[in-house]
Amino acid sequence: MTHRLVNILLVEDDEIDVMNVKRAFSKNNIKNPLFVAGNGVEALEMLKSVIIPLPRIIILDINMPKMNGIEFLKVLREDEKLKNISVFVMTTSNEDSDKIDAYNLNVAGYILKPLSFEKFISSVATLKNFWQLCEM
Amino acid sequence: MICSNILLVDNNKIDVVSTKNAFSTLGIATTLHFAESENEAWSLLQGDHKISPTPKIILIDINENGLSGLNLLYNIRRHPDLKSILVFVITKANDDENKVAALNLNIAGYIRKPIESENNIDFFSILNDYWNIIEYSSEKK
Repeated sequence: MTHRLVNILLVEDDEIDVMNVKRAFSKNNIKNPLFVAGNGVEALEMLKSVIIPLPRIIILDINMPKMNGIEFLKVLREDEKLKNISVFVMTTSNEDSDKIDAYNLNVAGYILKPLSFEKFISSVATLKNFWQLCEM
Repeated sequence: MICSNILLVDNNKIDVVSTKNAFSTLGIATTLHFAESENEAWSLLQGDHKISPTPKIILIDINENGLSGLNLLYNIRRHPDLKSILVFVITKANDDENKVAALNLNIAGYIRKPIESENNIDFFSILNDYWNIIEYSSEKK
């Protein structure tokens, strides 16, 4: 999948986490164009006008200002043009209620942000291998 | 931690055996349940033979002459207790129409299976690694 270099959208308000994702992509040689939105509102704006073609993958944080990850997912799944995008939650929230809400909105996976950068690189490597199996 | 039950829907006995072997070789710590048809799968999810706890993962293996999996997927997505299940469609066929329909029903992955069965271990190893980095909500009895 990644060999076709589909666009990826990262929805994340924490600048350090954005930097970590960029570094982990680089370490894993993931060359897909990566777009970054700081919250759900900004992500929806980008999906409606900026990112062409639409991303096939969204990496989504849960706790964000203005519109959080779950609120964003609800809007995404109700939009005919956006509803089929694969969403991978990447969050520090270990709340069962967040997992239930996210899976009810059919995310492809709910990943807890690893505490060490080494583990983070390894999780992104696993994601890359999975994405390469998938047709999107 | 991977969930306790996985349901495989596959009407090809050879594929079922090779999947079973891959799970065993890789030591995937889950109980693998089988259904040969969409109806049988539904009875394992909702009928008299209901699996408990409800599987968090379903693998639907599509082949050119067999099930499309779409009816099952549609019914799962409409059911309040089942709609959150992660569904992976596995196929050797090249059917764009089926792929688009399955993606519209928010499957977790539309996955092209290796043609050579000896590559099955690598294939399931990647899937198992993925299943091990994701979190699951608490299981329903």
